[in-house]
Amino acid sequence: MAIEDDKYILQVEGLYVNYGNFVAVNNVKFEVLKGEIFGLLGPNGAGKTSTLSAIEGLLKFKNGTIIVDGQDVQKKPLHARASMGVQLQSTSFQPELNVVQILQLFSGVYGVPMSKDQIKGTLKDINLEDAATKKFGQLSGGQQQRVSLVIATIHNPRLVLLDEPTTGLDPQSRRQLWERIEAIREKGHAVLLTTHSMEEAEAVCDRIAIIDHGRVIAIDTPQSLIDKHRDEPEVIAVSRRGKVTLEDVFIALTGSAVRA
Amino acid sequence: METVIPKTSTVFITLLRADLATLFSNRRSVIISLLVPVIILISWKGMIPQMGGPFALSTAITIGLMAIGLMGYTISISRDRDKGIFQRLRVAPVPGWAIMASRISIQLVMIMILTLAVFIVGFEYDKIALSAQGYLLTFAVAILGGAVYLSLGQLIVGLVKNPETVNATTRLTYFLFMMVGMFGEMGALGPQVKQGVHWSPYGSVKLMLAASMDPVKWNNDTTATVLVSLGYVIIFAGIGIKNFKWNTK
Repeated sequence: MAIEDDKYILQVEGLYVNYGNFVAVNNVKFEVLKGEIFGLLGPNGAGKTSTLSAIEGLLKFKNGTIIVDGQDVQKKPLHARASMGVQLQSTSFQPELNVVQILQLFSGVYGVPMSKDQIKGTLKDINLEDAATKKFGQLSGGQQQRVSLVIATIHNPRLVLLDEPTTGLDPQSRRQLWERIEAIREKGHAVLLTTHSMEEAEAVCDRIAIIDHGRVIAIDTPQSLIDKHRDEPEVIAVSRRGKVTLEDVFIALTGSAVRA
Repeated sequence: METVIPKTSTVFITLLRADLATLFSNRRSVIISLLVPVIILISWKGMIPQMGGPFALSTAITIGLMAIGLMGYTISISRDRDKGIFQRLRVAPVPGWAIMASRISIQLVMIMILTLAVFIVGFEYDKIALSAQGYLLTFAVAILGGAVYLSLGQLIVGLVKNPETVNATTRLTYFLFMMVGMFGEMGALGPQVKQGVHWSPYGSVKLMLAASMDPVKWNNDTTATVLVSLGYVIIFAGIGIKNFKWNTK
């Protein structure tokens, strides 16, 4: 693998993750370009979160290589993590700490300590200046997402990982989050996100990979995937209202059966 | 461009500050750790001339150490693991040992507060005074005693993942150690139980503490309990750390 290849911010090659006899991720390979918004899509249990966890260094994998900004996540985990900002699927912070204390904690652990005034300025930017002394659990879902996203980007990382960031958000909050994701890209960061929302993938992702049963089964831009598969009988069979969407392609490729 | 990782000392101080803020926000836990030892000292006032000051103070500190190790440390680790708080920290450039070292350092602060509170109540209410050497040695031995119960707590969170089961296990262990320890030591549960309690985590910690308050009475038996306590720490912590998982999934 060309570690020195500077057009990629993330390179995943031959990734294999298993839990006992269950193979969650099988020979997964993809790259994320610098400044790109890349979506990882798949049904429940397809291997999205396991792939993301391996990139984040939360689980050890036996085979494969993951390079983040030139750093091997297994050989130099702290360096790799310093290059990443992460928003987990269900983020939780110490319930005793208020928003200011949480930001102080994470700015410190990422090595960019912030003063109270800087934190107030940051909270003002995300319209949360009134929530400074509130505990994280007292915030609404949308407010929690905004705080989590600020923490994920607090150290100006080159790669931001977002695991199902819009789950549970109302349409207004979701749209607002998409704008914030676009803003992250405009600052030159790359974003890798997982989502179940095809609408979200079409709206914000430059490229997507569809993963199923632990394998990447398609990888391209959303429009190219639609164009490539629009005439396939499986896609036509599942399409509704005569217009082929990314969701139709997704269902045709991964099957109609509901996953656990 | 070279990736810069934050200094471990900066990370550790930041974690420590957050954990201290968490500790002092959670006043109920602090009060529970101090309440039982203080109640013991107050309720035993009339019996202290017969049992001796070191006996009363060492019992109070031992029970406080059990509360800190079993209830404070164990339950907070179990809760934070279940809520994903550790996972959020672990995706940052934070070494795992720094997260745990910060948590343990906070419990050391609690051990110091407990020991000081017991000394103050013992002196003010029960008129128990120790030599300067006794006070200093007791602080040091309280840390070793605290390590026994912290490692026991680590053993529990290492072997049990479900936070409700951890909660029930620690409460049961705390209650059993306290009741069997206190009554067994007095001989109320028979000579065999008394002998068992003597070498148990309860008995060995209490004996070390009592001897440290009156250093002239330190003997081979006391040294043996120090070694036994160290053995408990190594075994409990070894198994607890080896089996510990950062998440419950």
